[in-house]
Amino acid sequence: MHTLAWVAWVVLVMAVALTASNPFYLGIVLLSVLLVAALAPRTSNAAVASFRMLLVGGLALVFLSLVVALVNGSGGGHVLFTIPGPRVPEWLGGLRVGGPVTGEGLVAAAIRGLAILCVVLAFGVFNGAVSPHRVLRTAPAALFHAGLVVTIGLTLLPATVDDIRRLREMRALRGAPGGVRHLPALVVPAVTGGLERSMRLAEAMEARGYAAGGPPARLPALLGALSAPLLLAGAWGWYYYPGSRPLAGLAALAGVAALTAWLALSARGRHTTRLQSEPLTFVDRLCVAAALLFALSAVGGQVTGWVDLRYNPFAGLLPPDFTLAGGLIALACAWPTLPLALAPSRAAAAAEATPVGEPVRP
Amino acid sequence: MIVTLTDVAYAYPGTSLPALRDVSFELRAGSFTLVAGPSAGGKSTLLRLLNGLVPQFHGGRLTGAIRVAGFDPTRTPTRRLATLAGMVFQEPEAQAVTDSVDDEIAFGMEQQGLPPKEMRQRIDALLASCGIDHLRGRRLATLSGGERQRVAIAAVLALEPRLLLLDEPTSQLDQAGAEAVLGVVAALHRKRGLTVLAAEHRLERLLPVVDAVLGVDNGRVEPMAPRVAAAHLRAVPPVCDIGRRLQLQPLPLSLAEARAALAARHLTSAARPRPAVPGDELLRVEGLIVRYGAVPALANASFSLPEGEIVALMGANGSGKSTLLRAIAGLVPATSGQVFLRGRAAPPSVQARTVLAGLVPQDPAVALYRDTVRDEIAETLRHRHLARPADRVLERWGLAELADRNPRDLSVGQQQRAAIGAMLAHEPSLWLLDEPTRGVDAAARDELAARLRAHAAAGGAALVATHDVESAARYATRVVGLQAGLVRFDMLAAAAFHRDGPVPTQAARLVPGAILPEDVLLLDAPLFSSPEVAGGR
Repeated sequence: MHTLAWVAWVVLVMAVALTASNPFYLGIVLLSVLLVAALAPRTSNAAVASFRMLLVGGLALVFLSLVVALVNGSGGGHVLFTIPGPRVPEWLGGLRVGGPVTGEGLVAAAIRGLAILCVVLAFGVFNGAVSPHRVLRTAPAALFHAGLVVTIGLTLLPATVDDIRRLREMRALRGAPGGVRHLPALVVPAVTGGLERSMRLAEAMEARGYAAGGPPARLPALLGALSAPLLLAGAWGWYYYPGSRPLAGLAALAGVAALTAWLALSARGRHTTRLQSEPLTFVDRLCVAAALLFALSAVGGQVTGWVDLRYNPFAGLLPPDFTLAGGLIALACAWPTLPLALAPSRAAAAAEATPVGEPVRP
Repeated sequence: MIVTLTDVAYAYPGTSLPALRDVSFELRAGSFTLVAGPSAGGKSTLLRLLNGLVPQFHGGRLTGAIRVAGFDPTRTPTRRLATLAGMVFQEPEAQAVTDSVDDEIAFGMEQQGLPPKEMRQRIDALLASCGIDHLRGRRLATLSGGERQRVAIAAVLALEPRLLLLDEPTSQLDQAGAEAVLGVVAALHRKRGLTVLAAEHRLERLLPVVDAVLGVDNGRVEPMAPRVAAAHLRAVPPVCDIGRRLQLQPLPLSLAEARAALAARHLTSAARPRPAVPGDELLRVEGLIVRYGAVPALANASFSLPEGEIVALMGANGSGKSTLLRAIAGLVPATSGQVFLRGRAAPPSVQARTVLAGLVPQDPAVALYRDTVRDEIAETLRHRHLARPADRVLERWGLAELADRNPRDLSVGQQQRAAIGAMLAHEPSLWLLDEPTRGVDAAARDELAARLRAHAAAGGAALVATHDVESAARYATRVVGLQAGLVRFDMLAAAAFHRDGPVPTQAARLVPGAILPEDVLLLDAPLFSSPEVAGGR
């Protein structure tokens, strides 16, 4: 699959998971992501390890979300039990410690956790399936610095996972006790080590001519800086001042125009070529278009009320609705399974990805 | 002159001590220059100065004038400099930007905006001239270290730089990988007339072929001819050492030259001291099998190690040396077989095993994770519940002057010393060392050998996995050879390092019976040439 298709898929999962709060739809999204994860190609063994870590981290987030709901208490009529706690003054902004724990509160927390889990796992699949280099190459020239940061960031995660494993060994060799309790002692050195490795990579990249071509020109920089406030102002006006929507629309359009001009002008200053451009096939184009369409319908449907992916547990813990349109939008998150399952080269690619002669560490 | 430096001084940001000072020299176009000197002496900084990374990437204060191919590297954009001075770094992993061989070689050309057709042509030519045609289209993750370094050289040469800079490109490689990399560099210089500046610890490979040597020590740079360097440098290859001891004129730079110079002379070897009588058994390994997935890393290893013995564990990459050490320390579970420490079955936990058998891993940077060297020592003492003061332990391991330094800022050699001190601070009787002399200068190698001999004399024992034959000859009492996870030979040092043995030293190749340079004696010359030879034995 093309890098752009993967990006479109992540955007789709994010759009659906963050707009939906109906557990049925979220469940479908989660299953879809897991299915894609099972079929997705893996660029390295380290990527598999970091996906595992993200899975554990995601589950921990769900758990944390439930714990916070318990401690914080919540509104709603179905009180399960009450945790004794001090009364916190009203002016602290509704923060509570203890109090009645309701079914509604727990369900809301579980739904929040589920949505986060979907997004985290989608990023994990993306990280494993697309090598950082492919991401770097797809980035437009204007995003040179962003591309550098993304490349380094993407190499950082698997490298850090590897570092944590090795640090645990080193600590054991010195007689330090193991166990999860001592994990915090590993994090700081692992992150420092990862950052240092990234610095060396950045140095090697600079030595091979990967650097901005001279100081940035005044005009593109100005346009780039202008685009973000224009877009923000447009969105702000559209939502909060319905009377001035034409003006807000104009501001948003101007923002988009400034952004496009910035991208085009910056690309002119940095002339790069590709040894082999990744061909964007018809199927890839179709996939990208479909993904963006579904993402748009998830968000747009919410705004216009055409399709409602939301569920409010505080309205009396009624069983959530299920509509065909909503189900289809959620199921769309599984579309990469089609091109992945149909691509015959998966077994061959997997065989090639395993280092020859180098033992696969369990 | 392709490179001219005049009164250059440089200090890294945040330090007052200059990394380089009073540096003035010139390099002729098409010359091959070796940068030699101890760790942390300024070799890396000097190379980075020539391609602009110092000060453009690192910052810091610079004075003096530099010219590289007519450009001032401190002012020229690094993007342009990449086409003037290409740089190959130490670690193969930390310089790969892409994931396949072709993309890696193309990366620099893509940045310069070359047309794809031209890129293809250059890649084809480079794969051939770097001897890596068979790697075309391979994924970098599947390559060995030596192959990856040759890809890195090809990737740098793709921009057709006037100057090739190599920063200890073989320090992370085994003997075969290093040979292949240095062979390619020498061939590129010979056939293409490429100007090469290489920092290297493996002088024996380069000294005979270079045009000049830059001796770098303590921030000072001294240009000299190879033969002058062989006479003056603190650390020289064994053949030069033999030449110095026997006062040969001119000094031989290679084994062939030494043979020719000594052809008409009467050579003999000093009597070697008898190995000490080994004591009680400290370690026994019985039928050890370790598998990673389906691949057996250790097929069936058995041997024993008594007190007072230092065993050099030798074998090519992937023969199972590291796995054997890790299995003894308990880091990898054995599929079958057993490890006995002092006659008893070794406890299962790593923490308990390493009380008696301390392991120092291959990469010292990974072993060190605290902020100062003193903290590193204190960490081990704390976990081992030892009350002795850290400063005394620092003294014991020769780390006193590094006590307040951050381990990350140390040179590889200093890191190796700190790692050995940190992992063995609790004084286990069995030392397991994994490649302790890799990327380390000669002074540190000799110091380690002395430490190992003292440890054995005090009743300890050690198992040292290494590729470095010359260093091993300085400490090993026995040599165990591994091949594909099996013990292929297990013999006394005198037999193993002998000319007819499996791992002969340079001295042994010159004179049968000799092992170390100081063993080589001339019968037809007075013996006072070297105080050690005259005084001892």
